Amino acid sequence: MKNCIACGMPMTKPEDYPNGNESKDYCRYCARPDGSMQSYDEKLQSMTAFIVRTQGLDETAARGVAQRSMAKLPAWKDQTH
Amino acid sequence: MSRQLQKQETRRRLLNAAYQVICDRGMLNTRVSDIAQAAGVSHGSLFVHFESLGEMIAAVVAEYGSRIARRTHELASQSASLEDLLRAHLAGIGEYEPFYTRLVIENRLLPQAVRDVWIGIQSAISFHFSQLAEQKLPGADMALLFNTWMGLVHYYLANGDLFAPEGRVLPRYADMLVAFYTKLAAGLRRP
Repeated sequence: MKNCIACGMPMTKPEDYPNGNESKDYCRYCARPDGSMQSYDEKLQSMTAFIVRTQGLDETAARGVAQRSMAKLPAWKDQTH
Repeated sequence: MSRQLQKQETRRRLLNAAYQVICDRGMLNTRVSDIAQAAGVSHGSLFVHFESLGEMIAAVVAEYGSRIARRTHELASQSASLEDLLRAHLAGIGEYEPFYTRLVIENRLLPQAVRDVWIGIQSAISFHFSQLAEQKLPGADMALLFNTWMGLVHYYLANGDLFAPEGRVLPRYADMLVAFYTKLAAGLRRP
């Protein structure tokens, strides 16, 4: 089992992968419609929006959580944002 | 055993021991000597593996927090109804109830890294929760719906000494909480 390199989600079934492509290291939620991986800014925005929408956090607080969580993930380790 | 393996083995033993101590005493009350004693290592050898007690606690929270998140995600992925999902959520955190309860009570007082893990655990369930709720209760406020459930569960856990003085809260109250919340949520369904 792999964890998505861009958001950390465990990928346990083919549907978790972009277009079912299990050779990818990122999940369908971190992919663009064409299957390529979202950029850092796109992911930061979508992760922040996810936390605000599903947990109701203040947007600035949610962005901080998203930034620090992303910093720990392989895809974004070297980001200097 | 090679030196490297031995080092890994001691680190693992320390993390497990710290987890147990935290379950019993909480994060803010845990002392280095408690962990060293539980792990059967000297006080000094703990600092070979961790720079400080704070760093060690952060490592335990990161490790067990990600286990709780993974387990919750795994159980919740198979849920087809809101009721199933709530049960899956309680089953996931229930496997770690004493530790999770410490997080409920203390995380607000702990460093940001612990708070981030806390939100990570909640994201593992809010993800499935919002997917199901959007399908079953379209138009409802996802965050309020989620936080109402969390508020309920966490209130019982935080006051476990009063709700279940004999020990664990979830085995005693899970059915009641799930049944009540499911009924409450059904009332939000559009006619």
